[in-house]
Amino acid sequence: MKSKINILLVEDNEYDAEMTIRTLKKNSLDNNLLHLRNGAEALDFIFAKGAYSERHIENTPKVILLDLKMPKVNGMEVLLRIKTDERTKKIPVVVLTSSKEDKDIHDCYALGVNSYVVKPVEFSEFQEAITSLGLFWLNINQSPQ
Amino acid sequence: MHQQEKDKIKKLDELIIARKKLVFQNKEKEKREAELIIANKELAFRKKEKKKGEAELATANYARSLIEASLDPLVTISAEGKITDVNEALIKVTGVSRKNLIGTSFSNYFTEPEKAHEGYRQVFEKGFVSAYPLTIKNKNGKLTDVLYNASIYKDSNGNVLGVFAAARDVTEQKWAIDLRVANKKLAFQYEENEKRAAELAIANKELVFQNNEKERRAAELAIANKELAFQNKEKEKRAVELATANKELVFQNDEKEKRAAELVIANEELAFQNYEKENRAAELVIANKELAFQNEEKEKRAAELVMANEDLNKAEIVIKKLNMGLEKKVMERTAELESANKELESFSYSVSHDLRAPLRAVNGYAQILNEDYGTQLEPEAGRITKNIMTNAKKMGQLIDGLLTFSQLGRKKLVKKIVLMQDMVSHLCNEIKDKENNSNIQFQINELQPSKCNIIAIEQVWVNLISNAVKYSGGKEKPIIEIGSEIKGDEIIYHIKDNGAGFDMRYADKLFGIFQRLHSDEEFEGTGVGLAIVKRLVTKHGGRVWAEGKLNEGAAFYFTLHK
Repeated sequence: MKSKINILLVEDNEYDAEMTIRTLKKNSLDNNLLHLRNGAEALDFIFAKGAYSERHIENTPKVILLDLKMPKVNGMEVLLRIKTDERTKKIPVVVLTSSKEDKDIHDCYALGVNSYVVKPVEFSEFQEAITSLGLFWLNINQSPQ
Repeated sequence: MHQQEKDKIKKLDELIIARKKLVFQNKEKEKREAELIIANKELAFRKKEKKKGEAELATANYARSLIEASLDPLVTISAEGKITDVNEALIKVTGVSRKNLIGTSFSNYFTEPEKAHEGYRQVFEKGFVSAYPLTIKNKNGKLTDVLYNASIYKDSNGNVLGVFAAARDVTEQKWAIDLRVANKKLAFQYEENEKRAAELAIANKELVFQNNEKERRAAELAIANKELAFQNKEKEKRAVELATANKELVFQNDEKEKRAAELVIANEELAFQNYEKENRAAELVIANKELAFQNEEKEKRAAELVMANEDLNKAEIVIKKLNMGLEKKVMERTAELESANKELESFSYSVSHDLRAPLRAVNGYAQILNEDYGTQLEPEAGRITKNIMTNAKKMGQLIDGLLTFSQLGRKKLVKKIVLMQDMVSHLCNEIKDKENNSNIQFQINELQPSKCNIIAIEQVWVNLISNAVKYSGGKEKPIIEIGSEIKGDEIIYHIKDNGAGFDMRYADKLFGIFQRLHSDEEFEGTGVGLAIVKRLVTKHGGRVWAEGKLNEGAAFYFTLHK
């Protein structure tokens, strides 16, 4: 697994994940996308541990789309680990969640999240949101390399 | 104290002592002078006595010459002891006339009559006596010591006629002795006199000396007097100062008198007031009597009240017990409510997360089906897919509304002054743009600023304006009028439209959550907007209400504090 990962999608809901990936694919934004199903897997990947121990930690993704409510290790904890580690704190992290809770929004920004997007219930709105953020982070935004 | 003053005092002390000495010496002098006068008087008396003695001596000598001429005092006495004859000498020596002498008892004229009687008895017995001492007592008290030589004398017949007695005056001898004694005394007195004279000379010398001293003292006194004069001048100066002070005092006294006069007037006024007071006092007495009566009545009422209070106290205790029970219940309910709120919080969180994800999936997959297989489906299948999507979307909106509504209760309101006019104008423009309805006419009148939470009140306006826009959308010329007015300490904001309106019978249902007066076919909606308005305004301590008429329009009102 030496190829460069553009988007790391961390999402436990397979339907949300499928709809997200479908939307990105429709807009040709799905190249080098990796979907992980929980926080523990995400940490292993990001810090090159466990199943991903052969990976180079400095080979960071262009953007991480992170769900908050997940089994085992939740999104907030993953965010905390990424943003408090010198090697990973520059990775752009977009929280993609169903939660509109003020507390969640404040906490995420306090930890240094780069963007916070609430998934719309209505599918067309959802598609619009995913397309926008995909385009922005992969094409418009300049990430540190 | 200055040295000068000290010296002055010293001099004065010395003067006082000198004066005392002088007074003492003067007294001594006076004593000596008095003694001298007495001594001189005594001397004069002694000289007189001497002269007297010499005169008497002369008389005695004269008497002796008489006796020599007329013999000694002679007398003849009868056998019975009666005087029968006398000579001049005897008359002289007794001071009794011849006439009176004769016939009287011879012994009567002696100091010692018995001795005299014994004398002539001896003469009768022995025939004579010689140098028989007796003392003749003169009528004037003068005594004459005599020595009697007596013998009986007989007549020619030899018959004893009586006694013839001749007295030899021995006074002279006695006087001679007395004179010698007196002379001696005189000599002594002379000596004494001379002594006194010498003492006097000495006393006089002393006097002279004392006079000299006196003069010296007088000179000192003169100096002292000069000093005294100076002190008197000083005194006069002080007196002048005192006079000035007295004048001032007089002035002050005048002032005092003026005040006294004023006081008199004030006192008169006081007296008048006292009189008035007395009048009032009399009135007061009457009033007091009435009061006493009223007090009695009051006490009666008080007693009744006490009884009533006792009842009340009992009731109060019961109420207290009830209140305590109530408080406990309130606390229990509060605790219950708090835990219920927490449950609600976690409930809404899970709704937010867990309920929306499946909905998104329903909606999403229906749309994917439509996108991917739409061309292959029967038209009816397409309609069904669309219904699935519509309902999923609707449910999503309901969930969002519910979440928003539940979150309202938990947020704390930070209040600031909000310029309502600016906010509403801005919101109207935004909504107009969004609706893309150029027919809508907004009339924004003056809107009072208010101290409120800007986010919450913005939400209130968004919901109300959106409502108005939505329900007046069917009109040809939708007009939305917004304004405010101050009433008491609150501001009443209103928003009126000429839209669909509502039946006033259902006015109370307008602000309930999920309550709708129109179907989705007529007007889309979730029934959350006005509920949110009510909740936010109520949280600000304000009120909301609505007026409307079906098909003619509606008016919504809410109040905020100034």
